[in-house]
Amino acid sequence: MEQHSQQFLDNASTALADAGGVAQRDIMALFAPLLRDAAVEGFGNFEALRQHVKRVRQHSLDNLDYYLARFELEATNNGNQVHYAETAEDLNSIVLDICQQHGARKIAKGKSMVTEETGLNDYLQRGGLDVLETDLGEYIIQQAGETPSHIVGPALHKTREQIRDLFLERHDLGERELDSIGELVGEARQVLREHFLQAEVGIIGSNALIAENGYSMLITNEGNGDLCANLPKVLIICTTLDRVLPRGEDATAIQRLLARSATGQPHTCYTSFYSGPRREQDADGPLETHFVLLDNRRTDILASDYRDMLRCIRCGACLNHCPIFAASGGHAYGWVYPGPMGSVLTPLLTSLEESSALPNACTSCGRCAEVCPSDIPLPDLLRDLRHEESARGLTAPAWRYGLRAHAWLAARPGLYHRLTGVAINLLHRFGKRSGAFSKLPFASGWTSKRDFPAPAGKTFMQQYRQRSQADE
Amino acid sequence: MNSDARTRVMARVRGACQGNSATRIEEELAALGVAPAAALPHEDTCIAFMVNVLRNQGTLEVAANRSDAVKRIGNYLYDHYRSHRLVAGNDPRLAAMPWRDGGVLPRFGELEAGEQIALSHADWGVAETGATVLLSGKHNPSRNNLLPEHHVVIVDVDTLLPDMESMWQQVNPVLERHGRPRGIYCIAGPSSTGDIEAQLVYGAHGPRAWHVILLGEVDPEKLDMARALHAGAAAGASKD
Repeated sequence: MEQHSQQFLDNASTALADAGGVAQRDIMALFAPLLRDAAVEGFGNFEALRQHVKRVRQHSLDNLDYYLARFELEATNNGNQVHYAETAEDLNSIVLDICQQHGARKIAKGKSMVTEETGLNDYLQRGGLDVLETDLGEYIIQQAGETPSHIVGPALHKTREQIRDLFLERHDLGERELDSIGELVGEARQVLREHFLQAEVGIIGSNALIAENGYSMLITNEGNGDLCANLPKVLIICTTLDRVLPRGEDATAIQRLLARSATGQPHTCYTSFYSGPRREQDADGPLETHFVLLDNRRTDILASDYRDMLRCIRCGACLNHCPIFAASGGHAYGWVYPGPMGSVLTPLLTSLEESSALPNACTSCGRCAEVCPSDIPLPDLLRDLRHEESARGLTAPAWRYGLRAHAWLAARPGLYHRLTGVAINLLHRFGKRSGAFSKLPFASGWTSKRDFPAPAGKTFMQQYRQRSQADE
Repeated sequence: MNSDARTRVMARVRGACQGNSATRIEEELAALGVAPAAALPHEDTCIAFMVNVLRNQGTLEVAANRSDAVKRIGNYLYDHYRSHRLVAGNDPRLAAMPWRDGGVLPRFGELEAGEQIALSHADWGVAETGATVLLSGKHNPSRNNLLPEHHVVIVDVDTLLPDMESMWQQVNPVLERHGRPRGIYCIAGPSSTGDIEAQLVYGAHGPRAWHVILLGEVDPEKLDMARALHAGAAAGASKD
C-alpha cells in the first residue's frame, strides 16, 4: 500500500475542514469508549485477565523460536503447507502462485490487516484475478476505491447515503429502495453470497495461531471469514509469525480481551478454529490449506526495544480513545495502521524517515495505554521513537536545537529558575492590563488560535519557597 | 516451502530469543496459571447459559425429551415458513430423533440452494459466552452452520460447561483420541454487522436467526429466571 504518512499534518487539516466527518468522528469518540467501559465492567476482574494475557504473550515472544517451530510441526502434521514470507512482496507472490497453480479466477477474501499491509488485492488483481473483499466494511471501501479508516470498522467514515449511492452505481440490480441500513446489508449479502459460492480460493487472516495443536483462531461477527474458510476448495491463511500462542486456552483468553476492547461486545458471533484441509470423513471444506507467515521486519521488532508492540491484538481501542485520531481520522495517518498503535508500528514496519510525523501525532495524554488490552506502553514507545528521530537528525534543525537548549537549561536548575523567574515577571508586567496576550514571539502556534493568559508575577517555585518560609 | 526464507526467518527469531530449553519453557508456561473467566450472570451454569443465549440475540426453548424437541422444531418451522422440512447433518443423534412426533420431514446431508432452515446438534454449550460448540465432520457440514437463513441448534443440558477453559478440557481429549477435526465452531448468535454507521444489523452473511433448543430435564423456573435476568439487564441498560 502506498504510504503518505509524512503528509500527516496536511491530511489532518483537510480532515478537520470536513464538518460532516468531524461530527461523525466526534460521535464515535463519545460512544466507543462508553461501550468498551461497560463491557470491561461486565467482565469482572478485567485487569487480572489483561495482566495474565500480557504474561502469556511475553512468554510466547521470549520463546518464539520454540513455539513457532512447534506450530509449524503441528500445522504440517494437520495437512497444511506452511510458507514463510520475509517481505510483503514475498507474501503476495506466494499467494498468487498458489492461486495460479489451481487455475483460480475468483477469490473470496476475509478481513486481514496483514494483506492490507502487503497490498495483496492490487497484486492479485494485476495478476488477472477477481478478488472480492467479503467483510462488509472492507467490501464498501474496496468498491469505493478507498483504504480503511479504522482497523476494526474500515468504512465507518462513510455515511449510509454515500454507501447507497455507491451500491446503486456498482450493483447492476435495477431500480430499488436502499434507504435503510438493513437494505444495504441485505444487498451486500445477496451480491457476496454468489461470489462465495463461486470462489475457488478463500483468503483469511488469523487472530491467533495455537502451537500445541496447529489450529488457527478466527474471530468475526459477520461469518464472512468462515464462509471464505469453508466454501472454496483452497484456503490460504495470511498472518504474521508473532501471532503464535502456546495453548488453546491462551487463544480464548485473547478472545475475551478482543471483542470487549474492540466493539464493547462480550464476544463476537463466531469464534472458529481451523486445523487444515478436509478430512476423509468430512462433508465439506477446502481440499488444500496454506499458512503464509509474514515477517516484514517483525523479527527486527522482536530483537529491538519495541518488542512490547508485538503484543498488539489489533482491537482498535487505542484508536477509539485517542484525541488525535478522533480529530484527524484514520486516513490522515497515510498508511495501513492508524492511531497510536499505527504511529508506533508504521515507523517500525516501514521506516522512521517515511513516517517521522506519526510519533509526533500524540498529546501524551496516556488514554491509549490505559485501555490497551495488552498493556502496551504506547506513549513511552512513541516518546522513544521521537527521541530516535531527534538523535538521527530527522526533526527540523530549529526544533532540535531548541530541545537541546532546553535540555541544557533544564539540567541547570539554578540558572533555569532565575531565567524563568525573569521571563515570568516580564510577561506578568506586560500582560497585567489585559490579562492575556494575543501575540507572543516564539508562540505563534498558540496565539494564532487563542490568547495566551498572562502569568502570575512569580513562578511556582518562587511561590512555593515563599509559602514554605511563611509556614516556618 | 521456500526453505531459504524459512531458514533466514527462523535464524532471526532464534537470534532474538533466549534459547531456553523445552523443559524450562513448559515449566514457565505452567507457572503462568489460568486466565480469569467472565463473571456469569447467574451461579447456575444452565441459567447463565440461557441468559447469554438470549443476550446473543438467540431465541431459546427448553425441551424435556426428544419427542418434545421434535414438536418444538415442527412449530418453529411452521411459524417461520409454514413448512415441515429442514436439512440436518448426518448426525446419529439427529437421525435417532422421533421426527414423526412433530410432523417434521428432515433431509440429511448438506444444505442446498433454496433451503432455509438447518438443524445441528452441538457437542457442548458454554455458559460464559452463550455459545454452542460444534466440531466439523460428516455429521456437521459447515454449510449447514453458515448458509441457512435460520440455524436451529440442539444442545444437551448435560453438556453445558461454565467457561472456555472447561471447553478446552473437553475438546483436547477428543483431539487426542479421534484426531483433530478440521473446524471447531463456537457459534454465539446470528450473523451480524455494525460496519455501516456502527448500527447493528442481523443477517450479514450467515444465518439471520439462531434458535437454541436446550434438551433435557430443566426446571421450568430456570427458564423463567433466565428470561427475567435477561429482561432486567436489558431494562437496566436502556435506563442508562
